[in-house]
Amino acid sequence: MSGNEIKSFSPAPFRSILSAGSATQAAPLPRIERRDFLKMMGWGTVGVTLAGCDLPSTVTLEEGKETVVSYLSPEEYAIPGVGVWYASACLQCPAGCGIHGRVREGLALKLEGNPDSPVNRGKLCQMGQSGVQTHYNPDRLGKPQLRKHGKLVDISWDEAWKVLAEKVGAASGARVAWFTGTVSGHQAVLIGEHLEALGSKHHFVHEVINNAVGRAVNQDVLGEAMPRLDIDKAKLVLSFGADFLGTWVSPTHFATEYAKFRSGTRGVLVVAEPKMSLTGANADLWLAVRPGTEGMLALGIAHALMKKGVSVPEAARAAVTAYAPEKAAEITGISVQRIEQVAALLKQHSPSLVLAGATVEGQEQGYQAASAVMLLNVMLGNVGKTLVSRGEFPFPQLSPRTGNTRDLVAFAAAAKDKALDVAFFYGANPVYTAPDSLGLVAALQNIPFKVVLTQFPDETAAQADLVLPVASSLEDWGTHVADYQPEQGVITFQQPLMEGLYPGTPGLGDALLKLLKMRAAQKYSAFNDYFSYLQNAVASLPEQYRAGGLTNKQLWEQTLQKGLLTVDSAPGSLNTNVGEITLNEIKADAEYPLRLIPSPRLGLWDGRHANIPWLQEAPDQISKIVWDSWAELHPSTAARLGVQEGDVVEIASAHGAIKVKVYVFKGVHPDAIAVPLGQGHEEYGRYAKGLGVNPLKILSPAVDARTGELALYGTRVNATRTGVHEELVKEGRNNISQRGRKLVATITAEQFRRTEGV
Amino acid sequence: MKETELHHDKDIRDDLAWSQINSDILKSLENPRRGYWYTVIGCLVLLAIGITAAVLQYRYGLGMAKNHPHMWNLYIATFIFWIGMSHSGTLLSAILHIVHADWRKPIYRFAEAMTTFSLMTALLFPVIHLGRLWNFYWVIPYIPARGTWPNFRSPLSWDGFAIMTYLTSSALFLYIGMLPDLAIARDNTTGWRKKLYSTLSLGWYGSDRQWRIFRKAYMLMAIFLIPLAVSVHSIVSSDFAMSIMPGWHVTTFPPYFVSGALYSGCAAIVTLFILLRYYFRWEEYMTLAILEKICKLTFAIAMVWTYLNLVEFSSVWYGHDIYAKEVLWSKMTGAYAPAFWSMMFFGSVLPFTLAFQKLRRHIPTMMAVSILLNVGMWLERWMIVSPTLAESFYPWAWDVLWPTLTSWAIVLGSFGWFGLLFLTFVKIFPSVSMYEVKEMVYHRKLAREKGAAHGHAGGAQPAFSLSMRKEDGS
Amino acid sequence: MSLDNLTKDWSRYRKGIEEGGFHNYEHRWGMAIDLNACIGCNACSTACYAENNLAVVGKERFSKGHYMHWMRIERYWDEDQAREEFPDQGAHFLPMLCQQCGAAPCEPVCPVAATYHTPDGLNAQVYNRCIGSRYCSNNCPYRVRYFNFWSYPESAWPEPLNLQLNPDITVRDKGVMEKCTFCVQRIRTAKDKAKMENRKVKDGEFTTACAQACPTSAIHFGDLMDAESAVTQLWAKHQVKRHDEQGLPVSTQHKQNPALRGYRVLEELNTDPSVMYLERVREELA
Repeated sequence: MSGNEIKSFSPAPFRSILSAGSATQAAPLPRIERRDFLKMMGWGTVGVTLAGCDLPSTVTLEEGKETVVSYLSPEEYAIPGVGVWYASACLQCPAGCGIHGRVREGLALKLEGNPDSPVNRGKLCQMGQSGVQTHYNPDRLGKPQLRKHGKLVDISWDEAWKVLAEKVGAASGARVAWFTGTVSGHQAVLIGEHLEALGSKHHFVHEVINNAVGRAVNQDVLGEAMPRLDIDKAKLVLSFGADFLGTWVSPTHFATEYAKFRSGTRGVLVVAEPKMSLTGANADLWLAVRPGTEGMLALGIAHALMKKGVSVPEAARAAVTAYAPEKAAEITGISVQRIEQVAALLKQHSPSLVLAGATVEGQEQGYQAASAVMLLNVMLGNVGKTLVSRGEFPFPQLSPRTGNTRDLVAFAAAAKDKALDVAFFYGANPVYTAPDSLGLVAALQNIPFKVVLTQFPDETAAQADLVLPVASSLEDWGTHVADYQPEQGVITFQQPLMEGLYPGTPGLGDALLKLLKMRAAQKYSAFNDYFSYLQNAVASLPEQYRAGGLTNKQLWEQTLQKGLLTVDSAPGSLNTNVGEITLNEIKADAEYPLRLIPSPRLGLWDGRHANIPWLQEAPDQISKIVWDSWAELHPSTAARLGVQEGDVVEIASAHGAIKVKVYVFKGVHPDAIAVPLGQGHEEYGRYAKGLGVNPLKILSPAVDARTGELALYGTRVNATRTGVHEELVKEGRNNISQRGRKLVATITAEQFRRTEGV
Repeated sequence: MKETELHHDKDIRDDLAWSQINSDILKSLENPRRGYWYTVIGCLVLLAIGITAAVLQYRYGLGMAKNHPHMWNLYIATFIFWIGMSHSGTLLSAILHIVHADWRKPIYRFAEAMTTFSLMTALLFPVIHLGRLWNFYWVIPYIPARGTWPNFRSPLSWDGFAIMTYLTSSALFLYIGMLPDLAIARDNTTGWRKKLYSTLSLGWYGSDRQWRIFRKAYMLMAIFLIPLAVSVHSIVSSDFAMSIMPGWHVTTFPPYFVSGALYSGCAAIVTLFILLRYYFRWEEYMTLAILEKICKLTFAIAMVWTYLNLVEFSSVWYGHDIYAKEVLWSKMTGAYAPAFWSMMFFGSVLPFTLAFQKLRRHIPTMMAVSILLNVGMWLERWMIVSPTLAESFYPWAWDVLWPTLTSWAIVLGSFGWFGLLFLTFVKIFPSVSMYEVKEMVYHRKLAREKGAAHGHAGGAQPAFSLSMRKEDGS
Repeated sequence: MSLDNLTKDWSRYRKGIEEGGFHNYEHRWGMAIDLNACIGCNACSTACYAENNLAVVGKERFSKGHYMHWMRIERYWDEDQAREEFPDQGAHFLPMLCQQCGAAPCEPVCPVAATYHTPDGLNAQVYNRCIGSRYCSNNCPYRVRYFNFWSYPESAWPEPLNLQLNPDITVRDKGVMEKCTFCVQRIRTAKDKAKMENRKVKDGEFTTACAQACPTSAIHFGDLMDAESAVTQLWAKHQVKRHDEQGLPVSTQHKQNPALRGYRVLEELNTDPSVMYLERVREELA
């Protein structure tokens, strides 16, 4: 379909249902299946708000002719004027929230959280809310593109599949790779099967915002990579840079937990981090720790606890003894009194929960630092109380392949070594996220055929040889398993809320099946499409999921209606195998005195949402800046550099430099300079392009010694003023103080507990 | 300089022949100095700029001129400015008429025209500033089909009534006052002018009965107009005083606005006085003695205005309303401080030049001073509107807005529009009242003769008198 | 509304309060926002964009303050922050939306009565009637009214983004004032449904987009006329009243228990907001 046809459709709100006939002719899928899709959607209805009126007729365009289509016997899913809610899954970040989407006249309009989902409990963050703007984004790709004579040109879907079959067929199977973001469920299974059919082992999974180091520590100490965190049961949460309200692991879930944590007896929140995150902004006590020294602070607190009579595991005793509070204070910049105070608070409020986040883990000794944080949990006896075993997920094949940065490094190396002939990209934008120091863009030239499955013409797509547009999350089928599983294990089901905006565009599952059929046609001949594949998967569920002897059809409908399948797993128990902790002192660097903090934002995330106008226009939670990048500098640092808000500074590391406007802010350590992630796109779309800078570009290629993860927060930089000044655009220009008005009033927690405490 | 010496202490020569008065005044309809045409061209250019800006703003939206929270800005400030300008016409023609201040006679006509035209200019602004100006008539209480009336509680709808009433009355007053002169013009012109004046003079032939009725009607209109003029600016001030915003919610606003209005109006009269005197070579009629008197009047009003300013400041100071205090303090020290202090300087310090006779009689100085006084008064209006919007109750929304090019262009355009209306008027109608000047000359002559009989030296009169003068009533 | 009453007490007349009761109110939609729970994450604000067809204005226009955050999250720092090196007690977040005042300063000043008080206690804005004099915004102490400075339908929804627009409410064109409506389309749908089923609107049957999205459930929405509703209970619990038995305004500064957290923003202006805030809580860790 050409762009023109789409344009002519858009004013008619009924187009996506009623033009189904014409749409399917252009689409590779037979008509009957699409109707089935939508019928199933009808069954998947979770609630209808009915205003009860006669159903009118409507006029629409069908195959260029004006046809009167009667609504006397309408499809169940299309009652004019009535919104129908369908359950599906949110794919805006890997947290795995369930959503309800409001569909009216065949168009998805509004997303809400799925109250049945134990992950987000009916709530939905701003990125989830913006799912509709990803779906309806004006810069979405509608047609496949092939590189011809060095330029990407639109081609037909038939040609695209043909080229793909040729190229992948010609390649040696073992030299084919998949490079994806976090994937789970049956899509992950199919990717695995595709690689297996090819005989390749190259599945690189990459996320910038990840907790790979933390998972490794959890695995080693607790014996489970992702245990359950009972924030609501903790009386004190001490977070070392774990922005669990913003960007860490499962923010919406943790926010619902946080609400419980803060009510009743009201837990205490202490956050230690070099740059104030959203979680830090909600802390009772926020500690500006010198960047890279969080591990020492944890050991200093452990030492203070030890002095108060808390026992230290033998293996860690040496490390703890080495960091007396006085020494820790000197290194971290947190006063001895504060260290003692935090230790006292931890002792007083039990059980507590100590979390390590990206600023701890993203260091050259990130694993060791995160282990030091975990040591606190072990010492305080939190393991088993607020850190609880999740047990093994009953369908391990569906568990997520969690993203990390080690795979990014490995992929760049493999490309550099010319070890790959064909690379498939999905759900990741490595050309944007990879530091220049990895040399990824140059290395990509060594891969003869790069296929990018994407919705947007992003930086990676610009390097592709074949760009295959894929369906948006609101048009696709899928199953998703979140890495962090709350008390109730869950597989979230994704079903299309509406027909595809760009006919012919396959979902990821369909594309994978097509690829698989190119290799092993027989094995997959039973499945016309991914829809039937998933139906089959549900049909093959064991008896325990069929309470009351549900038939396959009933089970399928019920699952879609709820949008999820709850699964049980027997929780085991967690270990407390604390190993030896060796934290070396950090040497000062005269040439690059500052640490660069590429801080993630709830909103633009790692840059994948930069083309969503709502999220660009939503002010950053802390600085209230919109549509831009900025460098957060402590007033003392700014004074030293002689800069003020809006002055442009050049931030240079040994691997590159960026120029960015200064935002002077006290919530950042004087030794740190924080530049938010997400902007600085060279491609992507009209809203993203040309705004701000991408701090990832100048990161050093140093990795954590133990896990091989990139030390994202370890890059040393210097900053110099350029003399250029540009106003930062932000909400509320005079936004520091309430000027003595009682706009936000604050009372003490003690008073709160007296009047409202439980 | 020569004439200055000649008529040092006389408002007007008392030996002017009536026919000379006729011809001198009617000459203005034909051959002004070149400067007149330059001014017309200047006004046309300004108007073109203003219209361009207005069309662009109409097409693209008010974003070209405003921001949040500056919902009102230059347009409303300029609106008040023009409304204020209108007041002095009424002061000269009506108030000074009923108190029989004789010296107003050569100059009240153009002042009255200024009233009408500045009202017509002012009226543009509430319309231009509307987001959907094509629906402006919804504020008028026409009989609506759907029973939707305007909101009579809103000071903005009172504005509409007040200004329309004032405009109608002052236009009528201007016209009635012109009737005898139109008849003179009719008798002394040919061609289209004759036709025009014949129609407009309504068959005036100067009979005793006509004069008597005319006198009564004119006096009635004058009396009617005075409370109206006071009420109009009071109502305009209630746009602000009736709101709850700090810096606007001030009980002294009505007299403050009225005094400011008279002030800027008088200053404008000085400017126009000098211009007309130059364009039409009216040194005989618009004498320095009269200029001096207006200047003195202006000075007096300036002092009233200054006093009311101090009243406002001190009531804010002693009122202990933290919000109002904040706004006042930010006016004095914040981003708008230069404008505020310029206003104070132009409005309260500069008028002291009017206290010196040498300066009062120096035309270039008076031209400059009168314009600067009006700059000060324009700044006053801006300082009423903007600082409150910049800093009011809610600190999150605090923001300072510097006017955009579009809004400046429209403000300048309004000067072009006013100037064009005014210049057209003075070219078509006698802008000095011939019959009243004759009256004045006659009074002077009588006074001189009487004075001579009583042994007084010359016909000297008090320079400025609000007392009833016996000979006037006779 | 007798003339008697009018002359007796103008202030009570203005609020539509007669003999200590609400005058003719069917519902009185209100909110309670718990600043102890609010984390300042912006979910409510984006949900509002999605529900209410709010236009994205872009960087250039945002810089002039032309944005449309019906629900905006304000962020303040401690008053004494100037003296401290770090903001070690975190930020103060305040979700600010139209307070749907009982005695709204915006209502009497509109020259064409485009903003008026509904029997639900909402400050309704009739877009079709609005001529854009912006007087209402000038007179709003909370500065929560947003003006269409430009023709956003021309720029804010390039195809196919326009397909997302909520058909239950309009898209506003240039020159019109707009503001939070408490999701009036949801209110209407719920009321219609209740009417068809011949019952009263149930508490919790529906909620506003912001309250529904809020991850920490900091926003509570409901009918203040319904004694059983969660919001009424919260108001009662925190001893925040719109008026006393005589119908006279009461300040929360004179609560029986001053330790309770309820207050209304700028209540000294006597605008009678329908949104009660619960004070932020911080541990005393000197």
